[in-house]
Amino acid sequence: MTIAVTHTATLVGPVDEAPLANPRARKMMSRAAYLAARCLAALVGQTGWSDRERIGYFLGVGASGGSLTDVSELLERGVAACNPLLAFQLMNNFTMCHGAILEGLGGPNAALFSRGAGTIAALAEAMHAIESGDCEHAITGGADEATHPVTVAELTREGFIGRGLVPADGAGLLALAHSDDRDATIIEGCAHASGRGRPLVEALDDALARASASSAPGDRGVRASAPPSVTSIVISAWGPSAAGALRSFATERFPSATVIDTSGQRECLAAGPALAVATAVEHLRGARGRAVVLSLGVDGDPGVVVLSRGAA
Amino acid sequence: VTVQRRVFVRGVGAFTPLASTWRATAAALADGACAIREITAFDARGFPCRVAAAIDEAFAEEDRRLPYARRAAEEAWQMACVAPDPDRFGVFVGAESGRGRWQTVLGLARAARGNSGTFDHAKFAREAAAFATRIDASVLSPSAVAVTLAQAYSAHGPVETVSLACASGSAAIVEAARAIRTGECDVALCGGVGADVDPLMLAGFGLLGILSASGVSFPFDAHRDGFVVGEGSAMLVLSAEPATGSVELAGIGRSLDAHRLTAPEPSGDGAARAMAAALRDAGVSDVGYVQAHGTSTPLNDRIEVAAIRSVLGAAADRAHVSSSKGALGHWVAGAGALGALYAWEAVAHGVVLPTAGLTRPDPVCNVAHVMGQALAKDVSAALANSFAFGGANSCLVLRRTA
Repeated sequence: MTIAVTHTATLVGPVDEAPLANPRARKMMSRAAYLAARCLAALVGQTGWSDRERIGYFLGVGASGGSLTDVSELLERGVAACNPLLAFQLMNNFTMCHGAILEGLGGPNAALFSRGAGTIAALAEAMHAIESGDCEHAITGGADEATHPVTVAELTREGFIGRGLVPADGAGLLALAHSDDRDATIIEGCAHASGRGRPLVEALDDALARASASSAPGDRGVRASAPPSVTSIVISAWGPSAAGALRSFATERFPSATVIDTSGQRECLAAGPALAVATAVEHLRGARGRAVVLSLGVDGDPGVVVLSRGAA
Repeated sequence: VTVQRRVFVRGVGAFTPLASTWRATAAALADGACAIREITAFDARGFPCRVAAAIDEAFAEEDRRLPYARRAAEEAWQMACVAPDPDRFGVFVGAESGRGRWQTVLGLARAARGNSGTFDHAKFAREAAAFATRIDASVLSPSAVAVTLAQAYSAHGPVETVSLACASGSAAIVEAARAIRTGECDVALCGGVGADVDPLMLAGFGLLGILSASGVSFPFDAHRDGFVVGEGSAMLVLSAEPATGSVELAGIGRSLDAHRLTAPEPSGDGAARAMAAALRDAGVSDVGYVQAHGTSTPLNDRIEVAAIRSVLGAAADRAHVSSSKGALGHWVAGAGALGALYAWEAVAHGVVLPTAGLTRPDPVCNVAHVMGQALAKDVSAALANSFAFGGANSCLVLRRTA
């Protein structure tokens, strides 16, 4: 089955507080949930899909994190002073559920915690849900609030901020559906691999092999010789040093491809890989070719997504 | 490529407030034991609910999720007797965020708060650095559990963390089953962990009015008035290869209510769709046992029973129903995995564990309850339900292999 990215929606960095369909819902949302909800509304509107009860939704999410104002109220002034909606901010799946409720999505779903690779896993889950017939349409991607104080402190402690990571809030969503359209941008495969205890190049090669194996047999897959060749590599990395490592890998494995480095953008953690896929989709628009997204989040687990247009 | 391999449960394990293994826990549960009692880990006076099913054992690690999950995994792993290729071995865990030290969280909150009470970024940048060294990602990150287990068991395949509130543990098992079915890995360590007997979650849940004011968890009882928080971990080892007597994880199903954050869709449609999907996936229409989500809240239990009846039809009269939350409380991210173990116990050993605390079934929860002590019953297939805040539903069907 050929699965295409039919539409994309992204929001990154400082974003105006535009009202939602249900403005009261905003009070219960973390920043990530709000961004995801806005992207979802835009995306569902673009697709025009009417089978909302069956649309799948698979999202890479960060640790939502309670508002520190609310947490300090609880700790300093007691339970009675606490925001009664605090629980909604503490559960990571609410980044996904707020938007799903507003838009009426009722299909198979999962919220996967992500510092990078979880978003690739969410994409794989969405593809599988379509392939297995659990749903005809699925929405996937990621949303995160990397500027949350606790997250910033965590990233500082682990040295990422000191090595050039610039945290940001963002959301990136992709609409997926089966397609026979020769002009569609299709996902040939996606996978992530463990980066623990082994060289990054080895882990990247593993992810590349897994992504190739997950694509359809025959003339597709990044290691196949059939056209179109890989024309572009889109890099999503948490900062300059990680981006440099991915760039070196890309140059060696795909010497004729154009490298598009999105790491100059601010780092949105769980949203990062989805934003890179959206960039690749945009790059393939109007052209025939194959794009490979290489992602490396702060979890150290690389991800690979292979897209093509005009390969059929 | 849709490879559809079968998935078998090779091992199970749990670390619970009743015992340090599933074997001992199941024996205690069969006799009607209940782990719910007064909270002693902190001063719970003033909180909306002052009881919980808590683990008393002290650990050196600040993040209690890690020792809980490690203990459960050890038991499951020993039972499984598998030796997977590390590259073909994955870990899938349902978990929410851990908790930092209160002093650190409070310090960060104060650093972030400007004179007007709003977030002051400049002030935060100046003052928060002093706290940065105290923030340990292993304590805070939901993924810390899965990563720790992957390192301990040398799993180099997919490592995933599902954060789906009360359905996390079940959904993690779904992810693991999917990975084995499609050939992404051959063996998976999967399950869930909850460690929410702490002031933040007790306050958060309590303020929503969903905790038991009476301090009793009795799912489906006419006097039920909310749930009681519990904690622990349940783990399974799944494999594409069966062993003698293996139980098969035959069906998985998921849905979203798309209704409200704290209340299920009134007709039970979302829950019913997930149950129906799991049964359809397994190719069964009749189950001998349903491990209900059964939170002990008035609305949830009534809607779940209605959904069970709508999906099973006449077969609902042949299915016994119970909930783990009467004895062990609500483990939140770990609850779905614990439910899977209840279902496994019924299929593997013919032991249907009871709903502790249930003595006077609510007439609107009209199913065949298991009360008091365990029921001996030949169960060839069982359904395990998990329904989350936010409306995510995840269901599993376990079946005896031919």
